[in-house]
Amino acid sequence: MATVETSYRQVGEGQNVVEHEPVEGPCIWLDTPEDVIDFVMGPDVEETIVISRSGSTTFVAPALTAGVKGLITLEGTKECHLGIVSREFGIPCVMSVVFKEGVTTPQGDTVPADGTILRLECAGMPTATVLAKGE
Amino acid sequence: MGAAEEFAKYLDKYLGEVPDGPAGDLEMRRRLPVASIVDTTDESVLRDDLSDDEIDSWTGYMAWNLWELLAKRATEGASGLIPRQEYETISFVQMWATFPRLIRELTKELGAEGVVKLGATPRHEYSTQVNVTRHFGTPMCTLVGRGIAVNLGLDKATNRREDVETMVQFCRRLQHGAWGGGPGFVSGRGFKSDVLEPGIVNQLLADETRLDDPELRTAFKKFNAATELFGFLMHYDCRAGLCDSGPYDVPGGGFMLVRDHQLREPAFPWGKIGDGLPWSVTQAMVYRPTEPIDVRINDISTTFTNPTDYHRHLSGIAVYARDTWDTPMSEVRRLDADELVAITDRVKKATLDLYKDIASKDRDQKIRDGILVYSTILMMPYARTVPGLWESFVENGFYDLHEMAEAAWPTLTGGEAAATLAPVFILGQGFPSVS
Repeated sequence: MATVETSYRQVGEGQNVVEHEPVEGPCIWLDTPEDVIDFVMGPDVEETIVISRSGSTTFVAPALTAGVKGLITLEGTKECHLGIVSREFGIPCVMSVVFKEGVTTPQGDTVPADGTILRLECAGMPTATVLAKGE
Repeated sequence: MGAAEEFAKYLDKYLGEVPDGPAGDLEMRRRLPVASIVDTTDESVLRDDLSDDEIDSWTGYMAWNLWELLAKRATEGASGLIPRQEYETISFVQMWATFPRLIRELTKELGAEGVVKLGATPRHEYSTQVNVTRHFGTPMCTLVGRGIAVNLGLDKATNRREDVETMVQFCRRLQHGAWGGGPGFVSGRGFKSDVLEPGIVNQLLADETRLDDPELRTAFKKFNAATELFGFLMHYDCRAGLCDSGPYDVPGGGFMLVRDHQLREPAFPWGKIGDGLPWSVTQAMVYRPTEPIDVRINDISTTFTNPTDYHRHLSGIAVYARDTWDTPMSEVRRLDADELVAITDRVKKATLDLYKDIASKDRDQKIRDGILVYSTILMMPYARTVPGLWESFVENGFYDLHEMAEAAWPTLTGGEAAATLAPVFILGQGFPSVS
């Protein structure tokens, strides 16, 4: 029987908040509170890895309560309250990630395009890597 | 050295020199002209007058303590939902402009010994707003407001010396009540905030339910996280609704943390979103770790551990609800597993409702809401222990924005809040000398 090998490439790296087995899912960039509300009212919330800019907790509060699969931020440290709360929820969280490739947001941030399948390798401390599925 | 490297140096050590943790406490004590001022005694808390060196020593220690709390969170960034830095900075100026006079009114009603007695509240109550966080936070925020006002040129460091003295002694009296003497700051107590009396600790331990049932473990985990997040959102992105105490030794090994999450605040216009929830819940959490864990709690009652994932060692719990702020401790009730699930479900809905409510407001309204949060939660819990006093404060313009805060508004909401906070919080410029 032929085996199908899945290929991944590293697209980012950041501070790991909590040791967790790897998780994988489509990502979504949430830029505004309206984006957050639309996202949590929609489907597949628990399968999705959310990307937001801030290391602040409140911006992604409904996404945390809804139980997203993973969380990536462009700012913040694991000592931030978001780090504390994501640990309480048991949601894998990687903070201050710098992406090497992706699309550019209106604010000039580089993030993976919505729907990109990401894998968070977050089993070790203090660093976690972000992989994207595909060549 | 580049600007980023220079800033990183100040995040790593206070003023690039003093470390965090217990070693930093010792180093600051070594540096202070009057190190004994950060400890409390019966005599030193009852007098009204402090020397310039005593005031400057105490505020010098506070500057390090504040850095210790915040340096590692300095890169958190803007919320995207709530303009927290903007409302925080204006709140602090508002508090500097108004709080010292109100604290003197409170002290006149209670007497200095009455303030000490008030400070003892967290020894015999949990799910109380009169807690270690506020004992630190009310004077700290007021004095940081002074630092911001001085930095903005709205006040002079040598003005209103008596107001600085008032806030320092208010803090020290509360600390003396909480700890009964010795180091007043949690940072001076080895970062242990084990304030509850042994009789209460023993009762919480006796109520422990072991988490042998995976369903109960999962239900509690969700309850803890969801109520923490809602308390945080209810208080506009600040930790005033949360309070940890401990670690308390557990017979046979391990430790217990006691955690309050306030879920409802009728004093907030949006407080009704929490209707149907207890005013506050308290979680006694017993850990029996299989590896060494360093547990530290800071002066805003936040727990940090090394290694970070201490919850995997959670072994047992007891959970309680206090239905109103003045529910007697004898009527605080235990919550069973079904109630944990029901409250979690209610909190999830309330979180989204509150989020939508906040998101619908314009920026200025959010800033005014945030000022209301800080002003209320750092004064009301103390003032309402004297019948009629809080009501008289409100009737006499407590919620009117002071002209000093109005004057600070354009700068602090015009993109300068972060630039103002960095030197105040990180570079020790929040507490200029009184002399």
